[in-house]
Amino acid sequence: MTKGLKADREKCTGCQLCMLVCSGTHVGKFNPSESRIEVDDRFPEPGDFKLKFCRQCDEHPCVESCPTEAIVLDEGLGIYVVDREKCTGCGACVEACPYEGCWLDPSGSYSIKCDLCGGTPQCVEICPKGVLKR
Amino acid sequence: MADGYTGKVLRVDLSNEKITTEPINREWTKSFIGGKGLGARYLFEELKPGVDPLSPDNVVMIWTGPLVGTMVPLTSRYAVVTKSPLTGTFLDSYAGGYFGPEMKYAGYDGVIIKGKAKKPVYLWINDGKAELRDAKNIWGKDNFKTEELIRKETGQSRARVASTGPAGEKLSLISGITSDLTRNAGRGGSGAVFGSKNLKAIAVRGTMGLEVPKIDEFVKMTKDMLLKDVIENPDHAGSITDGTPIIVDMSQDAALLPTRDWTSGEFEGTPGINSDALKTRVLVRRKACMGCGLACGSYAKVSKGMFKGAATEGPEYETIGLSGSNCGISNIEAIVKFAEECDKFGLDTMSAGAVTAFAMDLYERKILTKEDTGGLDLKFGNEEAFAKMPGMMARREHIGDVLADGSKRAAKKIGKGSEKLLVECKGSEYPAYDPRGSIGMALAYATSDRGADHNRAWPVAQDAYGSGDPWNPEGKAAICVEDNTRTSVKWSFIFCDFYAVSFANMANYYTAVTGQPADEDSLRAIGKRVWNLTRAFNAREGFTRKDDYLPERMEKEPLPSGKTKGKAVRRADFDKMLSEYYSLWNWDEEGRPTKKALEDVGLADIVKKLQYLK
Repeated sequence: MTKGLKADREKCTGCQLCMLVCSGTHVGKFNPSESRIEVDDRFPEPGDFKLKFCRQCDEHPCVESCPTEAIVLDEGLGIYVVDREKCTGCGACVEACPYEGCWLDPSGSYSIKCDLCGGTPQCVEICPKGVLKR
Repeated sequence: MADGYTGKVLRVDLSNEKITTEPINREWTKSFIGGKGLGARYLFEELKPGVDPLSPDNVVMIWTGPLVGTMVPLTSRYAVVTKSPLTGTFLDSYAGGYFGPEMKYAGYDGVIIKGKAKKPVYLWINDGKAELRDAKNIWGKDNFKTEELIRKETGQSRARVASTGPAGEKLSLISGITSDLTRNAGRGGSGAVFGSKNLKAIAVRGTMGLEVPKIDEFVKMTKDMLLKDVIENPDHAGSITDGTPIIVDMSQDAALLPTRDWTSGEFEGTPGINSDALKTRVLVRRKACMGCGLACGSYAKVSKGMFKGAATEGPEYETIGLSGSNCGISNIEAIVKFAEECDKFGLDTMSAGAVTAFAMDLYERKILTKEDTGGLDLKFGNEEAFAKMPGMMARREHIGDVLADGSKRAAKKIGKGSEKLLVECKGSEYPAYDPRGSIGMALAYATSDRGADHNRAWPVAQDAYGSGDPWNPEGKAAICVEDNTRTSVKWSFIFCDFYAVSFANMANYYTAVTGQPADEDSLRAIGKRVWNLTRAFNAREGFTRKDDYLPERMEKEPLPSGKTKGKAVRRADFDKMLSEYYSLWNWDEEGRPTKKALEDVGLADIVKKLQYLK
């Protein structure tokens, strides 16, 4: 049973408010490149948006791939999150994830992925079209 | 200190390939905010009067504002500011999408470009660094291909690209700058300014982000405003359900929808081109600009028939009015094709539509023949011929060569009485609201600072679409003055037209992002300052009352049917509105800002630079 975000991609309009609020709350500035969710606009072909974020999948290959055991279980939320202290930015989790759910921050120094904002995902709250759900 | 500005401006001299970074002028950001206002102040300083817009001496600038790139909704726009080669006036033209925010994240509030490159180049801006790159492989390519090739070459799949298309390369005076494939700073010919400088594109990638003061409070306020002032705002309902095409039926009802080159205000083919037609026949999905909760954009694609595969974002109302009904086109699919061609080639859909209608009119009147059109049967409503026009203009083939510089220059070359049929002001084609159904629009078009345009004043909202009297000249000047003031502030932040934002809320946003106090009065003062400045720029170029004209047809050719049957714009009414308008602005009878007017709005420092005041 997945505990991550869910998305109805068909409703997405590409406004990227999720990326703005995510970076605003996680890194204290508006910077889509540091967002834990990414919207890719794909026009004119195939003419849609692709949403990338951590599904918190049951298999969590990222956890197994990490050589420093930096992806750890948050027992309160029951999800896996990145421990920045332990992460070396090697990118093994990025390679391992089949969903393109995590990536390195722009400085390349550590992996970032959705942590559900500690239980109240801001992207879910702000999404004006009801694309994202917890 | 975080205040929504990056604090940096990139300056590029293409002639000697020199690129420098300078601090933004802090006095000017206080007096003019950003976008239109700041761009106007810089342009006034950068240019001497009389500069040929297509010479290396002209300057073309990209400006953002303090809210661009923040989470404040409907502020993702950038302004292209230059001297217009179409009108010879000040030009500010805007596009939404994602380019503006990206420029802020890359570290720049604005870019100022002058000179002319020896061979085609593009400007690549990446996280605080900039370089000129060889554009030989992309010169000649359309806007879609240009974005693709630049992303490939820079290795940045999320780079944002603002480019001139083949039309701008060939110096078409109705060419614009295109970004995010379908977003166009269309009006006034800025594409030709890029072309004249051998500048194919500006590409930008920014991962540095943007700081604002007290971001937790800022996010909280913005989330609150997004819901209460944007999504639940009743003024925005039409933007959410339909976008601008909702206006087609409103204009048809008011009988002011330009039809067959302004010969009627009612079009029998409206059901084929209105918002319902768009939604049921070609709409694929709604599309938003960055940070917008409305998503008024319509990604449309044709799934069958002659135009199968054609896709665009839109078409917007102006495109539908000027290239649809005004060309006698009653099929939304043909308009999607026309708009796609304009996006690809980099033409302003408004002027391209209007000039196509003009050519069709000349063909019907046998002033143009098949010899001129390269064999095309350019009758009103001929979809196949119609859809070929943007390409013909961009390539300057046959009559397209003449039309590519707008209807006023075309008429001069064609002659044979075609001048009498012109519907433009200062060379800019009229937007899609026939003033014979709302005479205040004639004043709005005549006094717009970039030539005939609807985004500087929009009195039609209060009369033909509202409850006022569309033919009573009383009060129209005051509406235009108020609209000029408000839009000057909005385009300086830069807010989207579709945000019905109050002065009070603009002031709240201003304070939240800059940390500086603001209220309705201080913002109104800025609006008046900006409008006087663009007017002074044009007065310095020699524009006077004679240039704020009413096209003869609006006066002498009454509309034939519906609510506007028998209606025209009376010359005396137009003159009265114009005089009243100048007087409300405290301008002289030639429509030029007086010394006192300029001093009153905080522009004393430009007085000595205006020859007409000596």
